[in-house]
Amino acid sequence: MSETTTGAGAPAREPVRAPARDSARDDASPGVPPAAHPVRLTVNGEAHDLAVDPRATLLDTLRERLRLTGAKKGCEHGSCGACTVLVDGRRVVSCLALAVACDGREVTTIEGLAAGGRLHPLQQAFLDADAFQCGYCTPGQIMSGVGLMAEGRARDDASLRDELSGNLCRCGAYPNILAALRRTTGIEPAPDATRGDDRLRAAAGVDEIARDARDGAGQGGA
Amino acid sequence: MTPATTFVGSPVSRVDGPAKVTGAAVYAADFDIPHLAHASIVQARVPAGRIAAIDTRAAEAAPGVLAVMTHETTRRLPWHPRDPRPGVDPKAGERLHVLQDDVVRYDGQPVALVVAQSEEQARAAADLVRVDYAPTAARTRFDVAYARAPSEATAKAGRPGDTSRGDPEGAFAQAPVRVDVPFVQPREQHAAIEPHATIAAWDEDGRLTLWDKSQWVDNVRTEIAHVFGLAEDRIRVISPFVGGAFGSGLRTWPHVTLAALAAERVGRPVRLALTRRQLFTNTGFRPHTESRVRLGAFPDGRLTAILHEATGQTSTYEEYAETTLTPARQLYACPNVATRYRLLDMNVNTPSPMRGPGAATGELFLETAMDELAHALGMNPLELRRANLAKTDPDSGKPWSSNALAACWDQAAARFGWADRPRTDEARRAGRERIGSGMASAFYPAHRAKARARVTLYANGGAMIQAATSDMGPGTYTALSQVAADALGLPLEQVRVEIGDSALPPAPAHGGSITMATLGNAVANACAALRETLGADGEGDLTPALRRSGRDSAAAEGASSPGKEAQEYESAAFGAVFAEVRVDPELGTVRVARLVGGYDVGRVVNPKLARSQCIGGMVQGIGMALSEEAVFDRHCGRVMNANLSDYLVPVCADVGALEAFFVESDDRVFNPLGVKGLAEIALCGVAAAIVNAVYDATGLRMREVPVTPERIVTAQAARGR
Amino acid sequence: MSRYLRPGSIDEAVGLLSTDAALRIVAGGTDVYPSLGEAAARAAFLDIVRIPGLRGITRENEAWRIGAATTWSDVVRAPLPAFFDGLKLAGREVGAIQIQNAGTLAGNVVNASPAADGTVALMALDARVEIAGSDGRRVMPLGDFVTGVRSVALKPGEIVTALLVPDRPAKSRSSFLKLGARRYLVISIAMVSAVVDLDDAGMIAEAGIAVGACSPVARRLPALEARLVGVPPAQAADVVLASDADVLSPIDDVRARAGYRRDAAITLVRRTLAACAEAAR
Repeated sequence: MSETTTGAGAPAREPVRAPARDSARDDASPGVPPAAHPVRLTVNGEAHDLAVDPRATLLDTLRERLRLTGAKKGCEHGSCGACTVLVDGRRVVSCLALAVACDGREVTTIEGLAAGGRLHPLQQAFLDADAFQCGYCTPGQIMSGVGLMAEGRARDDASLRDELSGNLCRCGAYPNILAALRRTTGIEPAPDATRGDDRLRAAAGVDEIARDARDGAGQGGA
Repeated sequence: MTPATTFVGSPVSRVDGPAKVTGAAVYAADFDIPHLAHASIVQARVPAGRIAAIDTRAAEAAPGVLAVMTHETTRRLPWHPRDPRPGVDPKAGERLHVLQDDVVRYDGQPVALVVAQSEEQARAAADLVRVDYAPTAARTRFDVAYARAPSEATAKAGRPGDTSRGDPEGAFAQAPVRVDVPFVQPREQHAAIEPHATIAAWDEDGRLTLWDKSQWVDNVRTEIAHVFGLAEDRIRVISPFVGGAFGSGLRTWPHVTLAALAAERVGRPVRLALTRRQLFTNTGFRPHTESRVRLGAFPDGRLTAILHEATGQTSTYEEYAETTLTPARQLYACPNVATRYRLLDMNVNTPSPMRGPGAATGELFLETAMDELAHALGMNPLELRRANLAKTDPDSGKPWSSNALAACWDQAAARFGWADRPRTDEARRAGRERIGSGMASAFYPAHRAKARARVTLYANGGAMIQAATSDMGPGTYTALSQVAADALGLPLEQVRVEIGDSALPPAPAHGGSITMATLGNAVANACAALRETLGADGEGDLTPALRRSGRDSAAAEGASSPGKEAQEYESAAFGAVFAEVRVDPELGTVRVARLVGGYDVGRVVNPKLARSQCIGGMVQGIGMALSEEAVFDRHCGRVMNANLSDYLVPVCADVGALEAFFVESDDRVFNPLGVKGLAEIALCGVAAAIVNAVYDATGLRMREVPVTPERIVTAQAARGR
Repeated sequence: MSRYLRPGSIDEAVGLLSTDAALRIVAGGTDVYPSLGEAAARAAFLDIVRIPGLRGITRENEAWRIGAATTWSDVVRAPLPAFFDGLKLAGREVGAIQIQNAGTLAGNVVNASPAADGTVALMALDARVEIAGSDGRRVMPLGDFVTGVRSVALKPGEIVTALLVPDRPAKSRSSFLKLGARRYLVISIAMVSAVVDLDDAGMIAEAGIAVGACSPVARRLPALEARLVGVPPAQAADVVLASDADVLSPIDDVRARAGYRRDAAITLVRRTLAACAEAAR
């Protein structure tokens, strides 16, 4: 079965949402010290003039000030990719970007991806390929995938794996994430992937792509 | 509309998928609670001792700080005793009474809490708290010489110190073929990408609401009620989405108490989100466990003796023990079996169940030893397993409610191409790499527990299913929707599932692979009860019956609990895993080219999601085999890689071709829905199959995981000497 | 008190630095912010990333100038001669793509981590560091600039403005290999970058080989480089001796022990040279 819009299934399974809040809270936040720095962030097409703590990361600013909680906090050190957003079209880890440094930039988050209630093709591909379980890393995975498509660096299956390796998925959905990306980018599985889902690039920094699965049985899976 | 559609068994997409791909799914730290303050933990920096002095003045003077709490300034809570919950809590000892005394029991223990207007301010001020310690002797080295037998309480809970059937020592001594295999499984971390976080809010009437990351909201409610001396109905716990947990969300960790204390102190809602570093010492972990397996066999492969000893670490304040040795007693037919389980008290935080607790570790030990035995016998490792199939439970003598292990072996071997695996040195060579193939069996006992579920049917054809269970990723929302849609005769999209709220009908832990066998049946029973209430017949859309009754809606509850089958039968999920690895002998790197797993998990409610879960278990198994270890420094008693840069969970590029499938199985003896359970079995056997494949590739017996590049090279050098 | 300043020119940046020694220079920020740890209270930032002319790669005289605000992704995408391949391969291994899109080469150098992938490749290429201060500009070799773990020869009030990579002959090839305990997104156990210039007869005329994560600062292997002169590239790997690792001083840490690092480094040197030879075919 295939879902085509963000509204699919609603209202029967409306997700539990955080209660809506008045966004006027921005500058009334008692947590912002006097040294707050004025910035303009354009987020998902909407301009926000904010006064931010110079220490505040883009991630915290999105989550705490703009209430865009799609970008997730996983490690706060750029080690997991859960906070990935696009800044001026390029993916970055928003936990390592200071909000002040993004003044005047265009930021795209997972909330800005579905246009007019219609899912981005990669969001749809994630649904179809079951490219997640718990869903926590998913916004980062999808934003990373969208950035990957825009950057145009991934040309084959092996580089696709590398390009996706900045986003950890502890539920281990990688084969399905790859399947979603392949479907959306049109990148073919490596030609000798005759079994299972895909194949693997050579280990630990060595260079070649070694021959993988032997000829034999067909595509697996249940 | 064709309500006859059967959703159970069909590969529908996740019903919560749209929320997850759009960022709309709300996890614990995402809730927008007005007037929120933020807390940050100060952690002990010695493994044992007393707090000599705490200077909080600088922190109190820092911008935005609302309160600094220490053991000196925190009120004494009642900490009413409560019975340990099966499968979740340690069986003896006492939980950490956080900020109640000056004793430091492990490095990383919370010793103070700073509450401030913003998270940045709370963390900055936490760094200003000065703590002086009077250190005492600490046990930070894993030394089995200090191990002890488990307590009686632990032994009674399925983790006995010593068991024996037949004459294991005598049979081993007389066995024509013997192996004696030591092995080390290091401390592993759950490392879910969502950090644990709790928001606590008290209302004017003293009622507490907790938005918490939890696999068991009822347990959080009960625990906090006991800690604070409150009636359970004064507490509500909300946790609609869980960003992975793998067991870390089963217990109620000290930070939940801290969040509630902080909110009480500052008179505002408080959020306490653990940092990645703090997660290593403020939630549990899979304990470091050392093992010795001795196997004796006849030349035809039949086992005559299994002797398995294991020592696991626990903390100094609680006795956490695992069912590490259950597989030795139950997986294979063998007349003479002894197990010996010991515990080592260390200055660490208490371990906790992590996916496949006990079994995943025990089967790593047992199945690598079985591989050594196969080679000692000159026998195909698959044939060795076949020669020892347990047709009934060898421990109790009871029949299995179902057992398709033989089908798992056969079908997975066929899909993998086991018979055609490269067996000569020449065939095992691929450029500078060596190809290796290995296999292992998988086994995890199946249980179910007591639960209730409520169904409400509306005249417009919508239905609501409610229960206080959870969905940390396997697909509870989806699978319960499927069961209900079938039972009510409704299209799937008209069923809504509400879980993760302690206000809903009670449910057991979302763990131990029991959720569908438990809740699935409760939901089916609730729907059947509703059908009976409305006087409708056995199947089809129930909405017309409701409309005929003239009501706008009708509700019913259903319960489910284990029946006689739990006494009369043994139930378990089974599996077989085959691995192909490529080893670069010069650098020692190992990559997993292929994994094939065949599983007997009973009826599969949703093959699409079930496959995802098995593939996920394989990925975690790759980490277990090759890269995951919380490196514990024996000198300072601290985890040295408490971050995601050096605690290495697999990345996309580490993962080869993964194939998971399910053999025909439908266990209606175990429960009416026919499911057995899936989460734990998906990890079991994976690491063993990989380690066995490394042997096949290199001839190296790696008896410690993770099998890092350095360990391969070191083992080669040792062989060369 | 935390502050954030964004100068419009190098001169302005140098002026601000001279009045406030507490300012931390930030470009991509990917190393600065995590190093603040959980105590960012007093951080003061001087963000140079938008200073005009500071981002991009240009050829000037006999050198390629990589502006201090140039990101790793900029380098990976730039059309550059083949001898930059090693640097590009290193760039692809610096953290995740998300890091490469924000992190700069200059930042990687100034951060002076022993495990900095980029510094190794730059060192093999004889890169120099261009520095601006109140006394004007100066240039020094990268090998002298990085003085130790998290330590560089940057005087108070100075700022790195560019990395300068000398041009090499058309027949020059380079490569880079990294070893970690997982395939990607991993801090190196060891990494090697090599560049070989070929003469008209196809023999190695000059070689640059640098090893990282095996000493406080990435090290060149001068003895090996000397032996490689006149050797056909296809035989370069055979020239490598175990004793070439003697200049390294690896340590035991959570990622690997010293002995393994030393052995792995030599293996990586051989393979990197083989990759250069492959590229030269």
